[in-house]
Amino acid sequence: MKIRSDILRAYQYIHTWTGITAGLLLFIGFFAGAITMFAPHIDKWATPPTVHLPQVQSEQYDALIRAVFAKYPESQNDVKISFEQGHSPVTWYQQGNPRELRLDDQLWHASFNSTEELISHTRGINELSSLVDYLHRSAGLVGEVGHDHFGVYVLGVAAILYFLALVSGLILLLPSLTKSFFALRTNKGASRFWLDTHNLIGITSLPFHIVIAVTVIVFAFHDFFYAGLVKIYGDKPLFARQMPATVEFKVDNLPSLNEIMARAKVYAPDHQITEINLSRLNSKMPSASIQLVSDQHMLRGPKSDFLFMNPYTFEVTTSSITNGDQGIWGDIVTTMFGLHFGSYGGELGRWAYFIMGILGAVLFYTGNLLWIEKRRQQTLPVQSKSSRFMGKLTVGVAMGSILGVATSFALTKWIVLTSLNINQIYMWVYYSCFILTLLASFLFGMSQTAVVSQRLIAVLCLSLPATSLFALCLPSLSIWPANEFSSVVLELCAGVIGIIFWHMANKTKQRAYYGDQNSVWYVGDKNSTSSIKLSLSA
Amino acid sequence: MNSVFKQKKFKSQWLGKTITGLVLGLGLSFALVGLFAWIGADSLSQSLSNERLLWRTQFSMWLITPIWLLIFSFVYMFNSAKQAVLWLGSATLVVFIMLIVARGIS
Repeated sequence: MKIRSDILRAYQYIHTWTGITAGLLLFIGFFAGAITMFAPHIDKWATPPTVHLPQVQSEQYDALIRAVFAKYPESQNDVKISFEQGHSPVTWYQQGNPRELRLDDQLWHASFNSTEELISHTRGINELSSLVDYLHRSAGLVGEVGHDHFGVYVLGVAAILYFLALVSGLILLLPSLTKSFFALRTNKGASRFWLDTHNLIGITSLPFHIVIAVTVIVFAFHDFFYAGLVKIYGDKPLFARQMPATVEFKVDNLPSLNEIMARAKVYAPDHQITEINLSRLNSKMPSASIQLVSDQHMLRGPKSDFLFMNPYTFEVTTSSITNGDQGIWGDIVTTMFGLHFGSYGGELGRWAYFIMGILGAVLFYTGNLLWIEKRRQQTLPVQSKSSRFMGKLTVGVAMGSILGVATSFALTKWIVLTSLNINQIYMWVYYSCFILTLLASFLFGMSQTAVVSQRLIAVLCLSLPATSLFALCLPSLSIWPANEFSSVVLELCAGVIGIIFWHMANKTKQRAYYGDQNSVWYVGDKNSTSSIKLSLSA
Repeated sequence: MNSVFKQKKFKSQWLGKTITGLVLGLGLSFALVGLFAWIGADSLSQSLSNERLLWRTQFSMWLITPIWLLIFSFVYMFNSAKQAVLWLGSATLVVFIMLIVARGIS
């Protein structure tokens, strides 16, 4: 395909500059997003087994929630009934609420003991997966604007640049697409190898990237879009106002859970119910939000499908499962959500999204490295100021962010031994790692920082399975080893990632001390420092 | 370049084209989505169930972004910012007039 050369040049320019400005933000968004694919598994892994109370028999749930309502009336406002193994059957918030991330959330857990007496306790919530999710949505930028995080809007803008980068990248590749699609040329220098890698990942995962770019923009700016639609709709309402009932419902009249579940089953016969949230039970607008999963159907939420119903009248408000009057619209909209969350393909889909998320991060990292390689001065030992700045920034941000997450994971089981608030420690740990790595990159050089931080990440990742071994050998420590399949897999994956990072550190070191001298990575031979001194004084 | 086709000289004009894509692209997208909301399937002139309206409006909101961004991405193909403003501006104007007419008759 032929494209005019002046237009190609213009899109080359757009691709470079959108990529450079948005790349590092997107890097954090992607690698953290890849990790959030396993949020439920992380919660399981990070929560001490003593936090959750034992599950009850299916016929005991009704008696249990009535006992809870009687003893703790505040639970009538918002209570969660969970049918999942390893989770307390009934939980509610003592402090905070499920829709807001707070570091000091306290959750009540309730269950029956063997003689059907109510047992309950409060525990803090481990927010590790929520904090990774926060990092994913805001790139770690703090502050609030309107009713959302400042960082969410920044990532929204980054996603606009990202879309431009995708289209311009595609336009650039079109003329040579058929010739060099699968070419991975290792013999034509580092620049060509990185370019081929970058192109191959970019083209093969293009649909995924387009979906992510569009959904991120919608997630960030939907309020503005709705505000615009109000003008276009004129005197028509955007949404029908839900009419409150004329009488106030009372919790004493609440139908049994079996009845509520039976109605949900009628609506979605192929799904299993994992969770029911009952809220505002003593009001004119009570609600039951029912979480449903199915292996045979595409899920539209991050973890499950949902169905909203009035628990007294069984009237279904709406559902992400299109069995009501959603029309084609419900299908399309919920599919967009599902395509972002990657929750539609079971465990395999989760892994596919994890890998695509990591590859996305690699795409942005290699993009930045390409920018540097392209500007390489072949004749000068010291590279231009902008190249060195970009190199330091890339290493500092990327490695700092990964190091922060790795340290948070590595400390998780050890902090429980102390009385400290683990969620506050996570915040301190993440931001210190991030800022220190960024500073180190500028103060001590990008290559040295890259090598040291990659080694640290490797050790921290390997410490996850090591901690489990330690806990097995020393049970008196009261550290819990990985006791579930998913937790064992998580720790093994951490081990593999650790080994990969150790190799990366070796490669980086090789390049820094024995690689091409005219590269931003080069820091000179340890044994003959004369060349670097010369270049510094020049 | 190619004098046979009398191609005009291509001007980068980054700022002009970017603002045009950002503003007029969004305007044109809103107009198109609005037109589809008023005369497309399950339009606003019909009486829809609460649930149908809930998802129809969400769909319209979702539609804004891809249309906007496609216009935005291709705005740099115009030879000049002036040309971009003229084309996109008149397209937006035409669609908005159609939207107002559609709203008026329904």
